[in-house]
Amino acid sequence: MTGYLVLLDSGKREVPVEVQALGPHLYQVTLGGRTRTVDAFQHDSGSVSLLVDGASYAVLVDDRGRETRMQVGDSVYPLEVLDERRLRTRRPARKFTVDGRQAIRAPLPGRVLRVLRRLGDAVQEGEGLVVLEAMDMENELRSPKDGKVVELLVEDGQSVEGGARLAAVE
Amino acid sequence: MSERRRIEKVLVANRGEIAVRVMRTCREMGIRTVAVYSDADRGSLHVRLADEAVHIGPSPARESYLAADKVLSAAVRTGADAIHPGYGFLSERADFNRACREAGITFVGPLPESQVVMGVKTSARRRVSAAGVPVVPGSEEPLADEKEARAFADRIGYPVMLKAAAGGGGKGMKRCERGEDLTALWQTAKRESLSAFGDDRLYIEKALERPRHVEVQVFADETGNTVHLGERECSIQRRHQKIVEESPSAIVDPDLREAMGQVAVNAARAVNYLGAGTVELLVDARRNFYFLEMNTRLQVEHPVTEMVTGLDLVRMQIEVAEGRTILRQDQVTRRGHAIEARVYAEDPARGFLPAPGRITYLRVPGGPGIRDDSGVYAGWVVPQHYDPMISKVVAWAPTRLEAIERLRRGLAEYHLHGIATNTRYLRAILHHPAFRSGDYDTGFCAAHAQELLPKPDPSLEEVAVLAAAVTQFRRDQGRAQERAARGGTAEGVGWGWARPGGARGWGGGEP
Repeated sequence: MTGYLVLLDSGKREVPVEVQALGPHLYQVTLGGRTRTVDAFQHDSGSVSLLVDGASYAVLVDDRGRETRMQVGDSVYPLEVLDERRLRTRRPARKFTVDGRQAIRAPLPGRVLRVLRRLGDAVQEGEGLVVLEAMDMENELRSPKDGKVVELLVEDGQSVEGGARLAAVE
Repeated sequence: MSERRRIEKVLVANRGEIAVRVMRTCREMGIRTVAVYSDADRGSLHVRLADEAVHIGPSPARESYLAADKVLSAAVRTGADAIHPGYGFLSERADFNRACREAGITFVGPLPESQVVMGVKTSARRRVSAAGVPVVPGSEEPLADEKEARAFADRIGYPVMLKAAAGGGGKGMKRCERGEDLTALWQTAKRESLSAFGDDRLYIEKALERPRHVEVQVFADETGNTVHLGERECSIQRRHQKIVEESPSAIVDPDLREAMGQVAVNAARAVNYLGAGTVELLVDARRNFYFLEMNTRLQVEHPVTEMVTGLDLVRMQIEVAEGRTILRQDQVTRRGHAIEARVYAEDPARGFLPAPGRITYLRVPGGPGIRDDSGVYAGWVVPQHYDPMISKVVAWAPTRLEAIERLRRGLAEYHLHGIATNTRYLRAILHHPAFRSGDYDTGFCAAHAQELLPKPDPSLEEVAVLAAAVTQFRRDQGRAQERAARGGTAEGVGWGWARPGGARGWGGGEP
């Protein structure tokens, strides 16, 4: 019997699960106080067929490293599965906050089309700071909070890598 | 047809799905193909498919796919007798068209003069208007400045549309509701127009209420035979970009189709059109229609027309370029209903942020009546430099509702991992009552934005968790077995022997 902890909603919800092998693709799974037999046949790296109480589910497994996106029908559940070892080494989840200095980063590589604000400008939450062009499309990056532009690290026309720090608001 | 006009080798001056699409027909016709590619596209599907491939420069399009001289010299060097420009990039550049002809290479498309007239919206409107084609009331010429614009807008009445004279594709286009907004919108439209087309001339049109965007496919050969192949309804748009197209349109009956078709043919004749073209029309709530623009190239959504008419438009383009004749209007038949959905590498949950990156897994739909025009494969890295459209999934069925259900089924079979796509968003559009009723206009996506964002079904979460836990369990077991096979102790001891073939089997010896 192996125990796992499945994290849902970016770690806001935790579901303990226990799995035990019964046969080549037959498992006994305990989840939410209920134990049942699951027939799981893995087709390939990206999909697994689940037979649960006679119902057949084609589940898609999109492994993105730490996070896995499981898709059943039209529903996608981004989740993380922790085993005992990873549970022990897990750092406490960082709380989402907009306190203090907030960096604005390029969500993907591209070119800065226009810088909309100057250093020291007062900005409101949701106001555009930088227009980034990527894949032929313009994307406006907005301020996550009310405050002042305290860092401005790019200029018009500059190419940036994904994740690059562009500006900060405090 | 004279022998010297025969096309034996085509250079496809494009990338992605359309380059693949054109090459497929070339292969069927026994025509050899030449691909051009940028740094980012060395591994691209169109390079894999072509008989020859020429590297034309760095990844940014303006240094490769838009570099007319590089593309032309690639054609000369490889001895291609024709260039197919696809859509976008150089496809509507009259100067490139002319340069091809001067170099003795057939440009698969209309004459440069047709592209010159249709390339500037104001001259296009003047020309077709003179041929009796209805146009949306608007300014005859680009407006000199904001003052002139304001005077004109006051005269025809708000709301008005500010449009780029050199424009197309919704760039540099702004709807202005009231006089107070004109100054700001005039500036924005000018700036966008300059950056998109290198030309900041604007003109004004009266804005229509609840407009639908319906376009007519036309085709013409050298003998002057000009036919229309029916309409495509393209009102499902996001930020002025079409994402779902269908034929027939729910608002077009046989009489309206005939009237629109005749107007489209007249517009094409007004510029001595040759080959495949599309006349875009705006249709108002009372089913009055007006000329919007003419696209002087193959259209992204051409498969919709192909599915309904049974024709291969790329084959017809090449045949016209060879000087052959096309079918007569009375030979055009239409059957059933076709719908196309554009699959984009973008994340609807994050404001449709483009999602370049590696495709780690791909399974595409099949079965009755489904066509997948794709430019990607599993393992391919979708580059950040180009349009994020990766595929078009098209469904054909005898009736509209069957076609809708078929396309929904096809999109559910579209399994792509590693990057985000809009397939579930597209399914939500096809499922929406307003779409299914056929009563929708270009405001559909904005009006229903919230309803179209897919939310997970809580009843299926348990299945997802079960699958995730079992998958992890299997993975852990696999690793444990691997460790056991290695003797369960320190790595290295005996490990070289456990590997099939063994390190020595490759005849290397120690380096």
